[in-house]
Order: sequence, then C-alpha cells, then structure tokens
Amino acid sequence: MNSYNILLLNAIILPLSMALILLVGRKLSLRTVRFLATAGFFFPALASLVLWSNFQPIDPSGYDYLCSFDTGLEGLGITLKLGLNGLSMPLFVLAGIVGCAAGSYALQSEARPQRPYLMLLLFMQSGSMGMFASVDVFFFYFFHELALIPTFICIGVWGGRDRHIAAMEIAVYLTLGAMISLVGLLAICFKSGVDSFDMITLKSFLSSAPLEGEAQQIIFALLLFGFGILVSLFPFYSWAPRGYGAAPTSVAMLHAGVLKKFGLYGLLQVALPLVPLGALHWREEMCWLALGSVVIIGIVTLAQRDLKQMIGYSSVMHMGYCFLGVACLSVLGAGGVVILMVAHGLTVALLFLLGHVVYRRTDTFNMEDMGGLVRRAPVLAALFSAAVLASVALPGPGLLNFWGEFAIFLALWDYHVPFVVMAALGLIISAVYGLRAIARIFFGPPSEAFADYLKHNEVKDITMAEKLPALVLLAALILTGFWPRLFTDEMNKTLGDNFSPVIAVVSQAEEPDPDRE
Amino acid sequence: MEAATLSQILLLLPLATAGIIACFLRRLHRVASLLSVISGAVFSILGLWLIYGGARFTWAHAWFSLGEGLSFEVGANFDDLAALMLLVLIVVGFLVQVFSLGYMKGDPGKARFFAGLSFFMFSMSGIILADNLVLLFIFWELVGFSSYMLINHYYDRPSAVSASKKAFVVNRVGDFGLLLGILYIYGQFGTFDLVELEAIAGARPGMISTSMGLLLFCGVLGKSAQMPLHVWLPDAMEGPTPISALIHAATMVAAGIYFTARVHFLMTSGALQVILWVGTITAVFAALVAFGQKDIKKILAFSTLSQLGYMVAALGLGGQDGTRGEGGQLAVTAGAAAAMFHLTTHGFGKALLFLNAGSILHACGHGRDIFQLGGLSSRMKLTFATFTLGLLAMGGFPFLSGFFSKDAILHLAKEENFPVYIILLVTAALTGLYLGRLYLVTFFGKPRSHQAESAEETGLSMTVPLLVLGVLSAIGGYGWFFGDFFEGIIPRQPTGGSSFGTYTIVSGSLLSLGGILIAWWVWNPQRGTDALEAKLPGLFRALAARLYIDDAYDWYVKKVQDPFSQGLSFLLDRLLIHGLMVRGVAGIVGLLGILGRSLHLGSIHAYVYWFAAGALILGAIAFGIL
Repeated sequence: MNSYNILLLNAIILPLSMALILLVGRKLSLRTVRFLATAGFFFPALASLVLWSNFQPIDPSGYDYLCSFDTGLEGLGITLKLGLNGLSMPLFVLAGIVGCAAGSYALQSEARPQRPYLMLLLFMQSGSMGMFASVDVFFFYFFHELALIPTFICIGVWGGRDRHIAAMEIAVYLTLGAMISLVGLLAICFKSGVDSFDMITLKSFLSSAPLEGEAQQIIFALLLFGFGILVSLFPFYSWAPRGYGAAPTSVAMLHAGVLKKFGLYGLLQVALPLVPLGALHWREEMCWLALGSVVIIGIVTLAQRDLKQMIGYSSVMHMGYCFLGVACLSVLGAGGVVILMVAHGLTVALLFLLGHVVYRRTDTFNMEDMGGLVRRAPVLAALFSAAVLASVALPGPGLLNFWGEFAIFLALWDYHVPFVVMAALGLIISAVYGLRAIARIFFGPPSEAFADYLKHNEVKDITMAEKLPALVLLAALILTGFWPRLFTDEMNKTLGDNFSPVIAVVSQAEEPDPDRE
Repeated sequence: MEAATLSQILLLLPLATAGIIACFLRRLHRVASLLSVISGAVFSILGLWLIYGGARFTWAHAWFSLGEGLSFEVGANFDDLAALMLLVLIVVGFLVQVFSLGYMKGDPGKARFFAGLSFFMFSMSGIILADNLVLLFIFWELVGFSSYMLINHYYDRPSAVSASKKAFVVNRVGDFGLLLGILYIYGQFGTFDLVELEAIAGARPGMISTSMGLLLFCGVLGKSAQMPLHVWLPDAMEGPTPISALIHAATMVAAGIYFTARVHFLMTSGALQVILWVGTITAVFAALVAFGQKDIKKILAFSTLSQLGYMVAALGLGGQDGTRGEGGQLAVTAGAAAAMFHLTTHGFGKALLFLNAGSILHACGHGRDIFQLGGLSSRMKLTFATFTLGLLAMGGFPFLSGFFSKDAILHLAKEENFPVYIILLVTAALTGLYLGRLYLVTFFGKPRSHQAESAEETGLSMTVPLLVLGVLSAIGGYGWFFGDFFEGIIPRQPTGGSSFGTYTIVSGSLLSLGGILIAWWVWNPQRGTDALEAKLPGLFRALAARLYIDDAYDWYVKKVQDPFSQGLSFLLDRLLIHGLMVRGVAGIVGLLGILGRSLHLGSIHAYVYWFAAGALILGAIAFGIL
C-alpha cells in the first residue's frame, strides 16, 4: 500500500470521521465545528485532484490505486476494495469539487443548528466519494445509501415549503429504487456463481461465462427500473423536482450534482459490462423512456414558475439525454454520458447555488415575482446567465455540456435516426425555458411584487463568500470543456474495456438484420 | 512570424480583450472602450497582413478523441473565401468600434458593450477560420450568444429583452436543423473536416443528398434570417445602432451566406432549387414589408433581409452552371461568388446606412420614427452626403459598388431562371423606392419634431467612419479594388468582376433613379405624412404588421405552446404521475395499512379469535381439505 492508497482511503474516511466527531461532540464550540467541517469538505477535493494528476492506470484491470481492506465480511465475498479507473476518476473528482462547493456554501447557510446539518452533509460527502471509489459492488451500494439517507433527513428538517411531504416522497421513492437495484446487483453476484462482489473478478468471469439471456433480461430490467428511479427517469421522476424544490441548497447541490449519478455510473460500470444481453433486450424501451424525459419533461419545464423546481425538472430532462447515451450501447455514447454527467453535475450544482443566492435577494423562488435584478446584482446576473447557458449546452460556458450531448447524438445517429431528431428538439425547448428564466429574474422592469420588496429592502450584488464556490464550479466546467483530454483519454480506454462484451453482443445482434439503421 | 501563428493570435486577441474587460474593467468605461478599440486596431492590422500578405494556409491541432476513432480538431482553413469575409469583418468591425466610442458616450453599460463587441469579433473570426463543421458550429452558437447579449444591451426595456430572447430561440430552431445536418454528414462521410468533405463529395457525388444540404441550410435560415425564420432580425434593432450595423447587417447575418458558400459542394440541385426560392421570396417579401415601417432602423432591417434574400438566391442559382474548380484550388460556384461579392458591397453600404442612422438618432434624441424627423439635409451635411452615397450604392446606382454586385446576380439569374430574374428585378425597383421614401422623409421637408429642429452634426469619431465607409461603398465594386488577392472568388462571379452586362446598366440606373423619383412623387417630404397609409390604409396595416407572420408565431407561443405545456404539466405531471401513480400507490399502501391496523385492536378476545381462525385454516391445509 502506498501513500496514494492512503490518500484515496482518507478522501472517504476523513469526512466520515469528521461527521462522527460532530455526531458525538455535543460540547464542541461552533468554531471547532466549522473548522472540522471545512476540513471534511475540502480534503476530498484536494485528494481527488492529487489522485487525478497522478492517475496512471497501468494495471491490467484498468484500475489505479487498487487496495483492499478486510472488513470481516470476507466470508460473504465482500471486501472494502478501493480503486479508480478511467470511468470513475472524473466522477470522483466531480464529487470532490461539488462537495467542496456545496460544503462551503453550507458553512454560510441559515440552517440552524449548524452542527447536525454539517454532520449530515459530511456523511453525504463521504458516501459520494466512496461510491465512485469502490471496486466492490457491495460497498458501491453501501456508500450510496450512506449518502442517501442524510438527504432525506436534511430535506425533512431544514427544507423549504412542503418539506415533510417532499421528504416522505423522496425517501419512499429512492429507497424503493435503491432496493430494486440492490436486488439486481445481488442477482448478478449470486447468479454468476463467483463467490465475490469484486467488480474486476465479476467482469473477467462473466466475460468468459456470461449469464443466460433470460436471466440477463430480468436482471437488467431490475437494474434499469431501480437505477431509473434513482436517476429520475420518466415516469419515475416526480420525486426530483419536488424533492429539490424543498431541499436545502447544499443538499440539492450534492444530490443532483453527484449522488444522482450513481444510477448512470452503475449502468456503465456494472450493468452493461455484466449483463449486455439484457441491455440489448431493453434498449428500445430505454430510449422511449429517455425520450419521455427529454421531450415531455422538457415541455413540462416550460410551464414552471418556481425557479428551483424548474432547475429540478431541467435536470430530469438532462438525465434523459444520459439514458439515451446509455442506450446507444457504444463507447462513443457512453463517453458522451460520462462527459454529460460531469458537465451536468457541475452545472446543476451551480444553478442550485446561484438560485439560492437569488432567493436571498428576492425572498421568493417564484420567477414571476422577480425582474430587473441585474441593476442591483450585475455579477450575479452574469454568473447565473453563464450557468443557465451552460445547462442549455451553449458552447462557451457549456462547452462540456455540448460535447456530452453532441457525442450522444452522434452515437444515437448510428442506432436510430428518428430518436436523434426527437432528442434534438430538447435543444430548442431548453433554450426557451432557460432564456425565459434569465429574462424573468434579471431583465426588464421589476415585477410589482419585487418593486414593492425593493422599497423596503436593500439588495446587494453577490458577496465574495457566495461567489467563491460558484467560481470554482464554473472554472471547473470551463476548464474541462476547453480541455476535455484532461479525462477523456483514460475514459475511452476504460469504456473500451468495459464495453467489449456489449459491442460483441450488439454486432452479433445486428448481423442478421443489416437494414436497420 | 508564421501566418498560422498570426492567425491564432488574431483569433485569441479579441477573446482576451473581452475577458479582461469583463473581469477587471467593468466600471472603467473609458479604459475598457479604448482597450477594445486598440485591440481592434491590432486585430485589423494582423488581419490585413494575412489577407494582403497573400498567405493562404491551413493548420490543425488535435483536440480530443472519443469512442473508437472519433477525434475532434481545432483548425483553420484560410483561403480566398475566408480572406474576403475577414476583410468585411475587419473593415466594418473596426469602423464600428471607432464609431461606438462616440455613440456610446455616457452609456452606463459602455464597458459591457465593448466587451461584447470584442467577443463578437472573436466568435465571428472563429466562424471564418474554422476548418471543420464542429468547430464552425461552436462558433456559430457563440456568435448567436454575442448577438443575444448585445441586443439585450438596454435590458430595462421589455422590448429589448423579448427581442434578444426571440433572436436566440429562433436561431436555435435553425441550429436544430444544422446540428442534424452535421450529424448526418458525419454518419455519411465519417469526417467533419471541410477539405476532406469536399474531396470525398467531389469524387463520389452520389453520397450527398438533398436533405443533407437542406438540413445545413436550416442553420442559414436562422442566422441569415430567411423566411420563415426572418422574424428575429427586425426585432433585433432594439440593440444599439452600431451593433445593428456590424452584427445585424454586415457580418453575422452574412455568416449564413459565407457558410453556404463554404459547403456549396454538399448542395444537390434539388437543394439549390429550394435555396433559390427561399432567397427570392425573402427578397421580395422584405422589400414589400419595408413600405409599412416608419422606424428608420426597421426599414433598414427589412432592406437587409431583402438583400440577404438576394445573396441566398444567388447561392441557389450557383450550382446550375456547374462552375467547379480545377486542380485542388478553392472553387466556388458562380452564384456563390456573386453572393460573396454582393455580401462585401452590401456590408460596406449597409453598415454605412446604419451608422448614418445611428448618427441621426444620436443627434435627434433616439426617436426612430422617420415622420418625426425631416429637414436634416441642411443640419447634418456630412451625414446627409454619406447617406446619399450609401443609398445610391445600395439602390444599385451605376458605377457605385452595389450596382456591380447586383448586376452580377441579375446577370446570372437571367441566364439560369427567368422568373427569378423578373422577381429580383422588381425587388431592385422596390429597393430604390423604399430607400427613396426613407431618404426623402428623413432629410427633406420641414423638421417634424423638436429634436429634429435642433439636430447637429456628430463628432469626429462618428463622422470619420462614415466617410471611410462612404468611399468604400463608392469604389468597393471595382475589380481593381480587390486586386488579385481573391482569385478564388471575385473573378469567378458571372460578370467576371471587370465587365458587366450592359443591359443592366440601363435597368439599374432607371430602377434606382426611377425609384427615388417615384418616391418623391408619392412621399412628398413637404407633407410629412405617409401617403401609402393615407391612400391604402388596409394594405399599409398589413405591411406594417409584416404580413402577420410575427403574429402567427406569437399566437403559436401564447395559444398553443404555453397552454400545451401548462396542460401537460397539470394533466400528466400533477394529475397522472404525481397524483394517480405516486399518490395512488401511496393511497393503496395506506389503505392496506388501515386494514392491517384494524386487525390489531389491542383486545385479547380479538387476537384469540384470529388465532383460532388461523389454526383452523392451517389445520385444513394440513389435512388436505383446502
């Protein structure tokens, strides 16, 4: 074990231990609490960047920093095995950066008492780092749950309007999704006959002795359903806008930015390589549901008045693109999905953050009661516009988003052209709601309600403390957009390995039917 | 220094300027504007060096790759076509920057304005240089963004806000098609590189299809504001007037023409036929609607639309005579050459007219109704003189620039498609007529408002650009003006650049002069009211409402799209999925819970009965009765 392994382990353990200290340390002064929390939020980001800069997956498994720790579950084939490959590395860094931004915003939040709030966020942070660093299917799931449960509590305690209903709905829904996907994951592990939850072992074993077709179909259906709920695939999305609408900002940032990617990551890292025939079987259904997410939810987004809900719906829509990319069953499509996951993670976190910064200045999330804010807050307007334009995939701030969508469209063109045409409609729809939102909040004369509010309150531009996390997210987005090679080369390699069984299955299926586009 | 390196500096300089202004100089308006103009000057020198240094080059760097073998590149392809477009951008761009120094004086958003201007120069030069379709699409969208931002300059005005939104969304509609076209091309040819594409398409013409060309042309419909996506351009006049001159008259809206000329080898004759008619209809439609406008900038905007229609029609004419290049040289069709030629002369002329309008608005307190102006010929002599020049050049007065380029297009149309020729000829007459109306009402007669009475000539930074553009609109049509630096374009246009079809000398002079004379007869400036409005109010109303096309779109958004999204949101999202499915399931689970709870009454008797019943059932099963 070398120092990088320890760094990797600590990226997970440190926020976890900070959370535990906050849990037991009732007597800690507020200063100490904040200091510990800051350490817990910032360390994973730094660790992930260091690990990223030294990333050299020369191991034949495609992983770097592999290490395992005995947890006493060896008898069940479970070890805490950590490692990063080209697919998990970018998401691991995403989790670090979004966590750091969400944490630093949480430190300035109005949520009281602060200690439990920060504690729960630290649990989330630890879980989301662990989920991408796990090579063991069990711990992959475990860390996700570790992050998920604090989400419900935070929404229920510190949420906004309708927080109890929203917390209830999101808790029931996501627990259901997680359970179903757990059944699918367990089924793979047990059906394979390998006495191990290790993804590397499973992959090598199942590539030589794949499961029979019917079992694959059932397992993939379970995974698609379970992960679909977790990633708010149409029509299982209704928890997302309401949950995010009620969630405290940092929780929404962490969940929508990072945690939600669990399902897609699971599909790319686990489901497709292990049960490719199942994926092939459900391909078309997946496309239709994804198109539902893009087009129908896109149109529903147009009707939203509440800023936060609008961001929630738009995030459902973008997840639809990701599912489309998964359904391409090609390295290109999957690459597009990873890029879009990173891009969307940064963008949606930025939007939730700036949305709340707007809320602090307008005292409402209803966009019809805003207007003309640019006069008071020009920098906020510029940052918010950049975030919205990024989410509508305008090259520039949203160059990374553009690459993701573009790659997905290209891959989908190979599969079925009419799907591309329908999916590309989303470009127009998102432009309409994005620009409407900018215009309603910032431009034109203030609405009556806001003009009234302005009479009694002083509204200032975004403060430095609010600006910093936003700038970190925006800088990460722009940097990776202009220089995608920072992660794409390794990502292509890993996806190429992961997808070799998928490609084999697809080309086999297409051979007797060459007419299909 | 190598030409390729120079072009990289050329590209990045305005971007850096925009970045510096946006980050550090937001409040230092004076410094910001000076920095922008200085960087514009350096940009122009570099660009002219590239154009007239005769350097024609390509370079490409790998960007990143995805999937199996798909790689993206950043690259430039600087040929005669790019050089000509860059010339227009440099000349108009720099003059507009100088003009803006005076025009934007005292504007609270001056720094933002100049940052936007620099950003526009960056993204437009990106379109010009890009050597592959993906890069081109990226810059294409960025140009759209700069246009959005600059139209929205006066963000307090609801009209500016909605105009900017409209411009962006309508362009996105076009880009939807363009993106599909790019995907289609990659699916067919396996490359985005324009030079490679030309080679493949030339060798195997069977691989191109009409729908491919038309999908690409969708992007042009948006950016160059052709029917039916023309609606954003007149509204875009809400932006500051220098922006209207640069972006919405001379360069960005012409990017569609440039793009089509770039990809002309992907156009089948079927696609060209559609392009031809779209352009022709736009030309005559816009010319007609111009008569219904009283706003000086809107009249000019419709004139731009009409001239863009001319260029698009020329592009559509082009392929039919099959002038393909020889020996690997850049080869555009005669029509594309004529379109680019007209783009150049129109760029100078229309920028001049818009800057003149800006000068007038600046002097008259920004009231844009021409019937509130009047009598400016004596008060603003220089503006009057340059406007006259621009007007004549635009109207096709013999031996001024617009005459030659219009002549080239008409000449080609006469050979290729007679109905189109007739329509374009009529449009030429209408052009003289509506410009004559604008000219007479604005400059002659008595001043019709207080502001017009006290108008004074504007300052040097505004008048010098007018003079330069005036000279260019006068001489910009002669072959010697272009020298032999644009061999791939200018000599290829149908009249060859030096000679011209003699029959159009007569028609051209008759049309432009006749137009102005008729205009004098119809819109006598002494009256100060619109004769058309008085005599034919029904027709005028229809023209003023732009033949109700904008209303149709508004109706669609208000009565179809919004209610549909509201309805879907309510019925599907709230009622069906959230209400019925989620709540329904929750309700069933809740009911089961109530039922279950009702079994647990907490009374020993009840439990004993349940126990007995259970034992009985189990027993029955055990004995095989059930």
